Amino acid sequence: MSARHPLPAARHPIAARLLGDPAAVAGVIERFGSPIHVVFPQVMAENAAALTAVLDRHEVPHEIFYAHKVNASTRFLAQACAAGLGVDVASAAELDRALAAGFAPDRIEATGPKSPALIERIAALGVTANADDLWELDRLAAVAPRGSSVPVLLRLSGFASPLVPLSRFGIDLADVDAALETVRRARGLELRGVAFHLDTADPTARVDALTESMTVVAAAYGKGLRPSVVDIGGGFRQRFVDDPEPFQRYSQALATAAPEELVWPGYDLAAPTAHKYGNHRPATDVLERFLTAEIERRPVAEVLRECMLTLWLEPGKALVDHAGITLASVLYRKRAAGRDLVVVDLSRNQVTPADQEVLVDPVLVNGTGDRPGEGVFLAGRLCLESDLISRRKVFLESEPRSGDVLAFVNTAAYQMDLSASSAGGHPPPPKVAAFLEGERFTFVPDDIHGS
Amino acid sequence: MRYDSVLDMIGDTPLLRLDPAVHGVPDAQILLKLESANPFGSVKDRVAWALLRDHIGEIAEEGRVVLEASSGNTAKALQIIASMHGVGFRAFTNRVRVREVREMLTLLGTDVTEMPGLSECPDPTAPNDVFGVIGDLMDGEPGRYHHTSQYTNEDNLRAHYEQTGREIYRDVGPVDLLVGGLGTTGSTRGAATYLRERNPQTAVVGVVAAEGDFIPGIRSAAEMWEVGLFEPGFYDAITVVDSADAIVASLELATRHGVLAGPTTGAAYAATRERLLSESVAGSRRDGPVTAVVIACDRMEPYLSYFRHRRPDLFGAASDPATAEAAPMAAPEDVEAWIAAGEHVVVVDVRTALAFRAGHIPGAINLRDDLLEQILEAGMPFSEASRVVFACPTGDRSARFAARAAATGRQAYNLAGGVLGWRDSGRPLAGV
Repeated sequence: MSARHPLPAARHPIAARLLGDPAAVAGVIERFGSPIHVVFPQVMAENAAALTAVLDRHEVPHEIFYAHKVNASTRFLAQACAAGLGVDVASAAELDRALAAGFAPDRIEATGPKSPALIERIAALGVTANADDLWELDRLAAVAPRGSSVPVLLRLSGFASPLVPLSRFGIDLADVDAALETVRRARGLELRGVAFHLDTADPTARVDALTESMTVVAAAYGKGLRPSVVDIGGGFRQRFVDDPEPFQRYSQALATAAPEELVWPGYDLAAPTAHKYGNHRPATDVLERFLTAEIERRPVAEVLRECMLTLWLEPGKALVDHAGITLASVLYRKRAAGRDLVVVDLSRNQVTPADQEVLVDPVLVNGTGDRPGEGVFLAGRLCLESDLISRRKVFLESEPRSGDVLAFVNTAAYQMDLSASSAGGHPPPPKVAAFLEGERFTFVPDDIHGS
Repeated sequence: MRYDSVLDMIGDTPLLRLDPAVHGVPDAQILLKLESANPFGSVKDRVAWALLRDHIGEIAEEGRVVLEASSGNTAKALQIIASMHGVGFRAFTNRVRVREVREMLTLLGTDVTEMPGLSECPDPTAPNDVFGVIGDLMDGEPGRYHHTSQYTNEDNLRAHYEQTGREIYRDVGPVDLLVGGLGTTGSTRGAATYLRERNPQTAVVGVVAAEGDFIPGIRSAAEMWEVGLFEPGFYDAITVVDSADAIVASLELATRHGVLAGPTTGAAYAATRERLLSESVAGSRRDGPVTAVVIACDRMEPYLSYFRHRRPDLFGAASDPATAEAAPMAAPEDVEAWIAAGEHVVVVDVRTALAFRAGHIPGAINLRDDLLEQILEAGMPFSEASRVVFACPTGDRSARFAARAAATGRQAYNLAGGVLGWRDSGRPLAGV
C-alpha cells in the first residue's frame, strides 16, 4: 500500500455549510438530478466586495468588469449587475446574455477576437471595444456611426520587458502608431485607453507592462486623443488551498514516486497547472501587491492617480473563486487494470477545464465508511478510455459507496462550461443557484438560456 | 585601546543597558547590542569579515572578484575589506533604496548592478532572482569570481554564534528574549542558537516590515514567507512593524537613551517594548525581571533621507494647511493668457517622471514633489521675473510649493484643478 497524498481543497463557509448538510445535498440531487452544478452568487458578491475594498483603500479610481467567459451562469451575471460591476463579454452570445441581465451598453466591454457581426453590434450599441487587432479597429472605424463616440481600448502586446509573458492577443507596440491613427481618423471612435492582460501573479510584470503602456498614452495625447483608462485585465488567481504544504508534498511525491503509484498509466501530470493549485494567496493579495509595488519609489496606486487614469480590471476566476461546486452520484466501485476505481455519474469534460487535471480532491458528502488507505481513480460515464475524471489517485476521507454523492469543490471558474460537451447524449449538467438565507438554502434553477 | 588593524576592531561590541525609568517596561532590563560600534558601522562588518577572513588571501592571489547580493551594509563592509586587500568587488541588488547608502557605495567605488524587480534573496520560485544572475556570471567565467553568498553561507551564522551570541552571554548571562530584524536572518539565528544552548527558554523574535512597507535592511513578511529563507519554527514570533513606528522608536532611542540607531533598530526596539508590555499586562511573565536583548544593527545617520522622506514634518517641511491654502491660484485660462501676452511662465509639474512622460501641460518642466522639497531646502530656484505655476494631478499637493514660493516673493501660483482639470477641460497634453 502506498502512502496517502490527499490534496484537501479549501472550502468557503457557504460551500462547507451545504456539504455539511447531507439532507440538503440529497434534496438538490432529488430535485435537479445528478450531476448538477451549484453556484453561490453570494460568494461572488463577497469576492467583488473584497477586490473593491482593496481598490478603495488605496484610493484608486476603478471599474471592475466581470469576465463572463468564466461561467455561463445567468445568476452570476445578475449578481455582477446588482453589485454595480461592469461585464466583459467575449462573444455575441455573451453580449446578448449581458444585455438580458440588465447591463447598459456603457457597462459592457467586449474583449478577444470579434466577428464582423459582433463588431457591428458593438458599434451600434456603443459597447467598449477592447481591440485585439488593427483589423478589428479598421472594421470598427468603418461601421461606427459618424458623430458617435464608440469607446475603444487598445489591447497592447509585444512588451519589451522579459517579465511580461508572451501573448497571442493584442496589438504589437510596434503597430500602436497605426492603431492610434486609425482611432484619430475615425469619425465615430473615441480612445478610452490602453489595455493588457497578464496571466501571472507577479506584480513586477504588471508594473513593467504598465510602464511601457504609458508610452502609448503619451503618443495618444500627442495625437490629440484623450485616454483616461488603463485596463490591466484579470489573472488575479484563485485560492484552491488553505495550506500549500500538502500540495508541495504531493509535487515531491509525484517527482520521486514511480509514476504508476499516483497516476494512471500513460498520463503525465508534470504540472503546468502547479502554480494554480498550490496557491494559497487570495486574489486580493495579487491586486494589493500590484498596487503597492513601486514605480520610481512610489506605490503604483499613487502613480496611477498621477497618471490620471482610471484602473479597469476584468477578473473572472477571482470573482467566482469558491462560488460553485459540482455534485455527482457515485455509480459503483470496481477494480480494473489492477487499480481501484470509483465510477461517477459525470464526464471528465463537464468538470475539467481544457483537459487540465484538477489537483484538489473531491469530498464525499456524508461519507460514513472507514478512511481508505489507498487512493482511487475517478472514472466517468462515457465509453471512452480517456474519460477518467481523475487521472491521478485521489484520496477520499471515507470509503465511497454506490449512491453516495461526490462533491467537486470550487468549480465555478471555467470548470463547468469551458470544455463541457454533450458526448454520449449526456447534456452538460444543469446549474442551480444556491442562496443561504438565515439557516437555510434556497435553490433557484440557473439554466434558463435566452428567453 | 590600541589596534594594529581596523579588522581587529570588528566585534566585541558594547552591550548597553537602557535606563528602566526611561523605557518604562516594568520588571524588565532591555539591553542594546550595539553592533553600530563596529568599525564600518554595522552588524554586517562581522558577516563580511567572517565570509572573507579565510579566503581573502587566496582571492587576492588568484585575482578573483568578490560577488555578493547586497544593497547596503554588507556591500559596504565587503567593499572596504576587499579594497584593503586589493581585491575587486561587485554588488548585485534589486535596488539600493537609501540615498546615503548609494552615495557611500559610490564613494567607495563599488560596482553596483541594480536589477529592479528581481528578488535579492535566493528564491527557488523565481527563475530570475539575483542569485541566478550571479550563478550565470560565475558559470560564464569559472575561476574568475568568489561569491560570498551571505544568505546561504554558514559562516554568516557561525560569526553570530561564535561572537555575537557568546559576547551577549558573557556580558549579561542568560537571556529571556532576543529581538532582531530579519534580513539574511544570520544575526538572530546565530546569536540565538548560542543563547539557547545556555538557556533553552530564550525566546527569539524576528522583526519584519509590513507588506508594501519598507524598512531598510529587513524584509517584508511576504518576502520571508515566500522565499523560504528561514525556518519559521526557529522563532517564537515573527513581528510585523510598520515604518512609522520604527521611526518613532528610533527617535526615542536617540533623544531619550542617546543611542543613534537606524530604523531597523527602531523596529526591533518597538517590537521588544510591545511584547514586554503585553506580557506584563497579561501577567504571563515568569517570576523575576526579564532580560531582553535587542540587536542594534547600525547607526542613524545613513538614513537621514529615509527619515526625511517618511517624516518631512520632522525636517521643518510641515505642510501647514493654512500656508497651503494661502497659495495664490491660477486657472488654466490665466496661464494661457500670460503665455499669450508673452510673459515668461514656468509650469512645474510635481508628479513622477512616468506620469509626466505619459502626459503633461505643454512646456511644463518636471520636478517631482520630494525632489523639489530638497531643492527648496537649498534655496528658491525660480526667477522673480517668471510666473511659476505648480501643478499636480488635482492641485492638492502642489499648493504648498506655490505657497512657499509666493512667500519668498516669487510670482507663484497653484494650478486650479491640477493637470486633471486641465485635461478634462479639453486642453491639450503633451507626452514624451
